[in-house]
Amino acid sequence: MAQFQRSFFRTTSMVTRLNTRCYSKTDYANEKNIKKSVFISQSKDVYTNLALQQWLFKNFDFTNHHVLMLWQNDPSVVIGMEQNPWLETNYSELNNLGVQLARRSSNGEAFYEDNGTLNLSFFSSKERYNSRYNMEIISRGIFREFGCKTDLNSADDLLLRNNKQFSGKSAKIGQSNSYHYCSIMVRVNKINENLLLQPHGVDIQSVKNRDIKKMNLCEENPQVSVDSAMQAIGWEFLRSKALSLKDGGLNQANQQRGFHLINPTEGWFPGITEIRDNYASWQWCYGKTPVFDITQTFTVPGDLIDQKTGSSAQLKVTMTVEKGKISDITLFVPYGFTALGFTGEAKVIHNLKGKKFSIEAFNDLEDSLGVLLDDRDKFVTECLKQVMTCA
Amino acid sequence: MAIIPRVLCSVSKYFLRKCESINQRSNLKLVHTSVPVLSDRLFTEKHEWVHISGKIGTVGISDYAQEALGDVVYAQLPEVGTVVKQKEECGALESVKAASEIYSPLSGKVVEKNDAVEETPSLINTSCYENGWLFKLELANEAELDSLLKEDRYKEFLKTEESH
Repeated sequence: MAQFQRSFFRTTSMVTRLNTRCYSKTDYANEKNIKKSVFISQSKDVYTNLALQQWLFKNFDFTNHHVLMLWQNDPSVVIGMEQNPWLETNYSELNNLGVQLARRSSNGEAFYEDNGTLNLSFFSSKERYNSRYNMEIISRGIFREFGCKTDLNSADDLLLRNNKQFSGKSAKIGQSNSYHYCSIMVRVNKINENLLLQPHGVDIQSVKNRDIKKMNLCEENPQVSVDSAMQAIGWEFLRSKALSLKDGGLNQANQQRGFHLINPTEGWFPGITEIRDNYASWQWCYGKTPVFDITQTFTVPGDLIDQKTGSSAQLKVTMTVEKGKISDITLFVPYGFTALGFTGEAKVIHNLKGKKFSIEAFNDLEDSLGVLLDDRDKFVTECLKQVMTCA
Repeated sequence: MAIIPRVLCSVSKYFLRKCESINQRSNLKLVHTSVPVLSDRLFTEKHEWVHISGKIGTVGISDYAQEALGDVVYAQLPEVGTVVKQKEECGALESVKAASEIYSPLSGKVVEKNDAVEETPSLINTSCYENGWLFKLELANEAELDSLLKEDRYKEFLKTEESH
């Protein structure tokens, strides 16, 4: 009986071994069939590039063709699919510096980008989506060309000097296609980055803490430029096998479809203008913001309040913003303020409801209210304006 | 009036005894088979499920999909009144790993969406078949049901997927 059992186990193990060999063989064949291309976008407009990414994602067949799209943007902040632009960015500075705000259709955090940033989108079929593989390509490319050692942490972020992050990542998975979008800091203006991604003092719900240390690749090796990084990572992508990450050398690279300069225009990609316009619209960039509350507290000046009641006189303003528009305003008015017959409330608040959450809406309102306001109304209006300075 | 609860008691006692007798019979055989309870949910190969009651289908994502996504942090569901087609994109789920599109398993009109999931997206991870449903559809074409997989077929499908 024991002998029978042993022989039975032996045959089953042989069968499973044969099976795995068969599978690896088919996988190997598949890997050979997959060709690779590197697309370099010739546009620096953030909305056009996002549209190109979306166009490829929706219309391209990546089953046997893996694509790495390399692109650069003029100064812009790109926020994640469901992020809040007023929370993630220092909004008023954004306008002052002429930096564009864009919302991508993939997940993740806000990135600051300028001509010192290199964006990489790794396209593949949904089944072959592999973020580790892509990060490994970037890491190897940088090491081969510039000798900078990078590490991958458990969250798939690339780190320099053990703890300094220089990449941002995001991904999108659809019915049959997927892409993995990384943004690496090569020579970014870090002063602008810090200024623009700095959360402001106003109390908006769910403020995340940011204690990630970031650095540029050029601080590690001054030789690195965006163009040379493009070349290094592009070649690394072409010379690596499509699934196993084995280095196939120049031989492998020569069998691929090589580098292509891409012009994201209507002629090349029918329908791309419409997608671009959607990305650039207020509806998409701001209107898609999830509902949020913004609260600020002000001290009421002594002459506006009934001195007899004394004590603390604080006016608290809470605005609720839904789909980028003001849906509700609540005032917590100190006792003395109401006792003196405070009436401005309805006028100001009523006119603001339904307006876009932006300082421009406020300027229009001030014109329409004009000189009708008394001191107390003026103070409330000023407070509301303060709350909206971040808009 | 007191006779009603008394009747109820005796009736329930009768049923309870019947249950016991079934247990006793199975104990005699000393066999405990755990028959897998198959739900009447239908699945797609893209890992969505539908539960049909009458003309209304409740849609969600399968346990396999939930696990592949990781912690869901945001759910964008179709608005009530939207008309969707089978296999058409109708929303998105964002997890810590990626943003993933939701495809409608059947054609129809959205009659309800799960507000609880929009508020607490982690419900999809903790209870993808019960509280983590996404939206309800009024079916437009019942013939489409034939293209969906029963739970046992879906499980087989998952096995073949994994072996690749």
